Amino acid sequence: MAYLTPGDPKSRGKWVMAMVAILCVGFSIRLVDYQVVQAEAINKISYENRAVTRTLPALRGEILDASGAVLARTVYRYDINAAPSKVFAVSRKVNGQSVLIPVDQIANEIATILEMTQVEVLAKITGTGEYSQIKKRVDAESYRKIRSLNIPWLYYDPIPDRLYPNGAVAGNIIGYLNNEGVAVEGIETSFNSCLAGIDGQESFEKGVDGIKIPSSTVTTQAAVNGRAVHLTINADLQYFAQQVLTSEVARLRADWAVATVIEVKTGRILVAAEAPSVDPNEPGKVASDDRGSRIFRFMFEPGSTLKAITGATAIDQGKATPATQTIAPFGWVVPGTSYKVTDSHPHGDDKLTLTGVLRDSSNTGIMKIGQAVDYRTRYTYLKKFGLGQKTNAGYPGEEAGLLNNVDEWDGIKKYVSMFGQGVSVTPIQSAMMYQAIANKGVRLSPILVEGCEDSNGNLLRTEVKPGVRVISEATAKSTMDMLEKVVEQGGIGKTAAVPGYRVGGKTGTAQIASGSSGYSGRYAVSFIGAAPAENPDFVVAVTVYKPRTVSNSIGATPSFKRIMQQLLRTYRVPPSTTLSANIPTEWK
Amino acid sequence: MSTLRLAQNNRPSNQNRPALSIATFRQSRPGVFIGGAVLVGFLTIALLNLLLTILTSNAVYELSAIQKEKKELTTTTQILSEEVDSLSSQQNLANAASKLGMISNANPVFLRLSDQKVFGKPKAALNADGRVGRNLVPNSALVQQSNGAELIAAEDVTLTKSAIPSASVSSGAATQPTAMAAGVAKPVSVTTTLVSTGAAIPASPTH
Repeated sequence: MAYLTPGDPKSRGKWVMAMVAILCVGFSIRLVDYQVVQAEAINKISYENRAVTRTLPALRGEILDASGAVLARTVYRYDINAAPSKVFAVSRKVNGQSVLIPVDQIANEIATILEMTQVEVLAKITGTGEYSQIKKRVDAESYRKIRSLNIPWLYYDPIPDRLYPNGAVAGNIIGYLNNEGVAVEGIETSFNSCLAGIDGQESFEKGVDGIKIPSSTVTTQAAVNGRAVHLTINADLQYFAQQVLTSEVARLRADWAVATVIEVKTGRILVAAEAPSVDPNEPGKVASDDRGSRIFRFMFEPGSTLKAITGATAIDQGKATPATQTIAPFGWVVPGTSYKVTDSHPHGDDKLTLTGVLRDSSNTGIMKIGQAVDYRTRYTYLKKFGLGQKTNAGYPGEEAGLLNNVDEWDGIKKYVSMFGQGVSVTPIQSAMMYQAIANKGVRLSPILVEGCEDSNGNLLRTEVKPGVRVISEATAKSTMDMLEKVVEQGGIGKTAAVPGYRVGGKTGTAQIASGSSGYSGRYAVSFIGAAPAENPDFVVAVTVYKPRTVSNSIGATPSFKRIMQQLLRTYRVPPSTTLSANIPTEWK
Repeated sequence: MSTLRLAQNNRPSNQNRPALSIATFRQSRPGVFIGGAVLVGFLTIALLNLLLTILTSNAVYELSAIQKEKKELTTTTQILSEEVDSLSSQQNLANAASKLGMISNANPVFLRLSDQKVFGKPKAALNADGRVGRNLVPNSALVQQSNGAELIAAEDVTLTKSAIPSASVSSGAATQPTAMAAGVAKPVSVTTTLVSTGAAIPASPTH
């Protein structure tokens, strides 16, 4: 047995002290190394492990109809991703006991929720990679179901997506975004500055458990959400009009049809319906030509609907009255040319008044009365009625129509322009011409967008140009009186009548220009009218393009009548209590 | 306090050298007191800091949990909004009305109140002329659709519940219990009042 010798306590104390001192020096050196020499690098690595910077996505603003119904909103969709290298069986509690769920079964569960096959899911989660996308843009309900499976090797990316709850209702007006979330059509484009928000950013330090460290520096730039855009469209009426047009396009075997409803006294566009229409949720399902709005972009020769403008011009210039008499032959050679203009159907020399000319839609009659007004003056009136200028209603890519400079008008155009040839209009321009007549001679700017909300939710109304007086109030009344006779007595006009209401309107059967070879054998048929005629509230303009089963405005009047009836019912307009003016249409 | 008590305890052991100890005690007493106070202050601050840190840490976890809950609720709101949007879309309403056997009459008839004249020729709604029988406007966002059977059941329940308090039963209140007791569907006549506003058509009692 060995015994420890006591030795020299003082010497032992010195040794201990020396060892402690050496250790202290060693620690001090290491401390200085960590705290001073390597401090920056260590701090950097540490910060990188802790620091998180993430984008705070801004929500795009909603698009609302006139009543506040949501036509477009932003929702979150979720990309469901997996890390194939980490795929393994998952333990799950079943009846209080831990059960290992095999990968095949998990794949089956995922497949059922995501409406995929088990084989498809297995193909996505098998491998050695760190990333595999199982399905893109899954809705919130499916995402929640997937998450409730508690699978540790699945992860999710929330993606803001645009939802159009009413599908194709006003789809051609609203527009849509592309897959990258960039607005490419419609109001989504023209009001992008209001709708788009500004993404924010957040930086903070997190602990091992992923929770933000309380004292860490947080840099937050809050996301600024987009603001809502209010349209003037009445979504219920819009749906009704689209239903009517879609059914009529099928019945008439037409290329397409459009209907515009204008609130006469304000210029608000209540309906801008098209068929075929686009569902902005799936714009790729229709042809590219059907994705925009023809109401603002399609230019066509208006045909006989322009006769009302010629008549109004003659009255406003004091060159005619609704009772002005003329003899309208079937054919008439344009003065100074050999170009012969005929009416749509053979007839003798009809003794008609200006009202009768409009009722029968006589080309020869309107030229004979209209020639009393100098063509330069008529050109000025056409401009005042809005031809050749964009309406600037707020729809992107709007066309201005075609109204050549009057100096370029040849001998024929000076005459054929009186019945709507040689000039082109868009459907919205056609509707606004009649709005001017219905609004006592004052043409307003059409309003498609009521306004954009500010950050406090207050509506900043769209700036509207003041109305332009086009014709006198008396001329406007006389023109409405004449248009009423078209609906009361006209062969086709009668089919636009709404029982109980005074309706004024005009048919239009325009030949379609076919490049340089004159006109094709197909027509753009229209009917534009206003009701109640004694004090019009609404203008409805319907155009059907290339109907195969009819070749005149009988293709447009049924749609006009049904839309007008629905309007009068919706806005509870009481039936008319007065009779139309007593104007002769013929003479002996 | 503790510093002071220590000084008092030491006093008896220093009685052999009264002059020195008294002089030292008098000179050091304020310093010890201040030092002690500073130490206590530091300790208190440190303790408070520790307490606050613990509380903050707890709050951060609580905040994190609340934020998670908020996220869940936002997701729930989105799911419900999508359902409401879908159910209230024109396409779903049209389909639901059709399932209930409702038909839009393409030949409305108008009544002029001033002379009670009827305009238009009433035609049966079954007349297919000019009527759009089904939804023609596509909507791929129609994730939730009204179930026809549920609608009919809901309508029956609504009628049963709403008719009793609001209806004026022509046969009189006394007959109600008998009819109800027998479990027989009773004829109900709902009294509605249309208030004329003069020029405008009165608002419909139903919407």
